[in-house]
Amino acid sequence: MSNSDGTGAPGNFIGPDVPFPGAESSVSSVGEESSFSPSDKVESNFRQGLRVFARNKLALISVYVLGLLVIACFIVPIFWRTNQTSLLQQIGVPQNQPPSLHHLLGTDVNGFDELGRILYGGKYSLTLGFLAGLITIVVGTLYGMISGFFGGIVDTIMMRLLDAMLSIPNLFLIIALVAVFGKSTPFLIIVIGMTGWFLTARLIRSDALVIKNLEYSQASLAMGASKLHVIRRHVFVNSMGNIVTVGTFSVADAIQLLSALGFLGLGIQLPATDWGTMLNEGTQELWNGYWWEVFPVSILFIVVIVCINFIGDAMRDIFEVRLRDR
Amino acid sequence: MLYYIGRRLLQGFFVLLLVLVFTFTLPYFLPHGALNAAYFNCAEHQTKACIDTFANTYGLNQPYFQRLWHYLWGVFIHFNLGLSFKDSPPQITGILRVYIPRTFFLALSAFILATVVAIPLGIYQAWRRNRPADYWFTGVTFMMYATPPFVLGFLMLDAFAIHTFHLPDSPPLGVHPWAMFTDPKGFILPVLTLTSLQIGSYSRYMRSNVIDVLVQDYIRTARAKGCSPRQILMRHTFRNAMTSIVTVLGVSIPGLLAGAVITESVFNYPGLGLIVVQAAQDFDTMVVLGVTVVVTVMAVLGNLIADISLVFINPRIRIMGTEK
Repeated sequence: MSNSDGTGAPGNFIGPDVPFPGAESSVSSVGEESSFSPSDKVESNFRQGLRVFARNKLALISVYVLGLLVIACFIVPIFWRTNQTSLLQQIGVPQNQPPSLHHLLGTDVNGFDELGRILYGGKYSLTLGFLAGLITIVVGTLYGMISGFFGGIVDTIMMRLLDAMLSIPNLFLIIALVAVFGKSTPFLIIVIGMTGWFLTARLIRSDALVIKNLEYSQASLAMGASKLHVIRRHVFVNSMGNIVTVGTFSVADAIQLLSALGFLGLGIQLPATDWGTMLNEGTQELWNGYWWEVFPVSILFIVVIVCINFIGDAMRDIFEVRLRDR
Repeated sequence: MLYYIGRRLLQGFFVLLLVLVFTFTLPYFLPHGALNAAYFNCAEHQTKACIDTFANTYGLNQPYFQRLWHYLWGVFIHFNLGLSFKDSPPQITGILRVYIPRTFFLALSAFILATVVAIPLGIYQAWRRNRPADYWFTGVTFMMYATPPFVLGFLMLDAFAIHTFHLPDSPPLGVHPWAMFTDPKGFILPVLTLTSLQIGSYSRYMRSNVIDVLVQDYIRTARAKGCSPRQILMRHTFRNAMTSIVTVLGVSIPGLLAGAVITESVFNYPGLGLIVVQAAQDFDTMVVLGVTVVVTVMAVLGNLIADISLVFINPRIRIMGTEK
């Protein structure tokens, strides 16, 4: 863990703490601006991780791109207002206009400004993806840790339940749930989150199984620590790598799942929208040659998914201690 | 071995039971409980007579446990999945007999094609890792993975069915299973759409697995004793990496079927996916249940086949219970 070679990048080189979904909540609270000076012999785990992350150029670019997109989706609409919510105001507005100076990316089938629509839909896509990913990771982690740590009959029952859940294709489950309980946005978040955690739980469980038998956990238990304490201080902390990595990927999965639901007409309902619903509306117009309703948003969608996956890959590299040079 | 298969099948049976009970209970949370379908079907004239008749016809008035018992008995003893509220003839078993081969054929051909393409691709990427070739292929597979299947499907339709080649925009629709083979060209676009979706995830798994194997000591030993790269890849790496990819392939079957839902609606090909979406919107709960049964059975069997084939791929794996 020591920064033995003096040639390594000095800490201030790492760059600012850029917000990116998935990792923000868990990592940035470690205190990045701590009192680091070149004389420090031991580099903190977090700093070392950042260094590995920063060396991955693709991931770094992805963080910037995502950060830019978040700013664009959440801040730009405050200054540059377009009507995106009132269908009533759209009466008489020309529809499906090609890009022009007035509408940079044209207008869509309801006459909404396409560029503004992308930003507006992005707000839903990103928020929903992030929240659903958060639910996924919280539920999956809790379930996996409890199952793995307690073992025995608890583990058996929980894992069989998980097997049952895993063998229902999750789109089928969501279709059934959405059909029964309706299509409100909070419910969509919960449904997507609650149907995504099965694989996460399995992964975290296998981590917990290993960690609970390691010497430090056993020693802690032998010294009289409560099970809760061991779970919190040892099992949770040591499976953090997997949790953060899987969390990042699950954000991307949630966004994709939401788009699939949007395509089936079960997603976010008009006048609100997300990228999946927009893509669905756009592709219906593809035959007419309205390319501006398909390509910008699909490129953006792909870029976001690819970026999140690159970041996830970089996360895995960070926590893969074997790959670190010391 | 037989003991193991039997135990897994028994386990699968309980999984199926659990899934069935869960899905069966779901409609009870609707506004009118099990009677929701009756209210939905009597939409124009919600008279007591209409609702009562409907409920009596389908036995919706019976107590929960009695219905559940009836249903489970029918499924497991008679392979009878109940009656649809909408379609005629209403026997769901008969309805699904038309749709299952379609989805199965679509999913299976995509699965085979994806495996055949993705496994060599993953190995190649791992072998040339962090070189330009790897970056290019990683980029392409990432794109395949990230593109929503319906966008890909519509773009392919636009390009290859309308502007060039003029491929059929929908696979042949016929009631008989062999109708699928009357116009094989119709399958090109849907299968390609579903395949490219799968290639993205399979080749990524394969790449990371092969990389994990390539850093092992025995690979270094093999290299040291003078094995050719080809030998290292085929004899040492491939077989070791197969273990994990086969598991992944087994687990991926639900995802494959979910992808089929989208593909079927893009290419307007009524298979399991399309009817389940329709049935869910019409509150035709028994059809949803029936499809869930079929899909769950497919997933459980796929998992089982994956686990069994592991034994043949990797002789180090001993199945629990077969050892003395």
